[in-house]
Amino acid sequence: MSAGRTQTTQRTARGDQVSRRWVEQLHADHPRHEDAAAKLHDVLQRAAFHELRRRRGQLPGLSGPEFDDVAQQCADDAMMKILGHVDEFQGLSRFTTWAYKFVVFEVSNKVARHAWQHHPPSPRELTWDHLPDTLTQRPGDLAERREQIEALSDAIEHELTPRQREVFVAIALNDVSIDVLSLELGSNRNAIYKNLFDARRKLRACLAAAGHPVGAAEEAGT
Amino acid sequence: MTDLRALDELLRAQEGDAGCNAGVPIMDQFVEIELRGEDPSERFPGTAIHLRVCPGCRADHDGVLEAARRFGDLEPD
Repeated sequence: MSAGRTQTTQRTARGDQVSRRWVEQLHADHPRHEDAAAKLHDVLQRAAFHELRRRRGQLPGLSGPEFDDVAQQCADDAMMKILGHVDEFQGLSRFTTWAYKFVVFEVSNKVARHAWQHHPPSPRELTWDHLPDTLTQRPGDLAERREQIEALSDAIEHELTPRQREVFVAIALNDVSIDVLSLELGSNRNAIYKNLFDARRKLRACLAAAGHPVGAAEEAGT
Repeated sequence: MTDLRALDELLRAQEGDAGCNAGVPIMDQFVEIELRGEDPSERFPGTAIHLRVCPGCRADHDGVLEAARRFGDLEPD
C-alpha cells in the first residue's frame, strides 16, 4: 500500500464497512473513484427525481425537460457538495443516508426558489387584515369565545413586532411556505421560524394574560 | 377540527423546540433511528418537537426517510 493510500485510509476510517468504502473510493486519488462517483451520482439523480415528484404540488407548470433539468441540477449540486465534504462524514449514519440528505436539501432549496419566482406571496398575504373565517366570530358563539377572538386580534395588531406580525400573518394565517417567505424577506428558514415561534408564544401569553388561555400542558411558558 | 383545536394549532409553540438549524447536521442519524424502528425523540428530543411543527423541516425529513427506504444502502462496488 502506498503512502497516499495509507493517508486515505486513515482519514476515512469511520462508519460501517460499506460507508468506509464509499468514502475511500470517492477520493480523487482512489483507482475506483470514477466508478464510485458515477454510481453515487446515478442514485442521487433517481432520488432527486423522486423527491421532485413528491413535491410536485409546489411546482405547478414544471414538467418535461425543465423538470428533468431541475432534477439533474439537484443531483449535480449534491454531488459537488458531497465530494467537497466527504472527509467530514463521521460515520454516525450509513454513508448513503448521509448522501441522500444532501440531495433532498438541494431539491428543497430549488423547489422553494422556483415557487417564489413563479408565485411570490401577494401583499395581501403579508398584511394583517382580519382573522380567517375558520377563527372569526359567528352568531351563537359564547361570550367567552368572542372575547378570546377579540383578544387574539388585538394582540396580533398591537403586541407583535412588525416582523413577527408579517411572519405570523403569512405563514399561520395565509399558509405561505416558510421557505418562500424566507426568500421574499431575504432571510432564512431558521430565522423566520424563530420569528414565528416568538409570535406564537407572545400571542399565547397575551391570551393567557387576558384570561383566555389556549391549550393545556404543552403550551409555551408565559 | 374544533375552533379551539384550530386555535391551539395556530399558536403551537412548544418549549424545547430545537429550531430548524439543529436538525440539519443530524437529519441522517434521526432517520436511521427511525429505520431501525426506534424512537428518535429519545436522542434528539428538540428536533422531534420541531419536526411536528415546522412544515419545511418536516418535508425535508420525510424526503430523506423516503429516499433511504426506497433506494437503500448501496455499495460503491
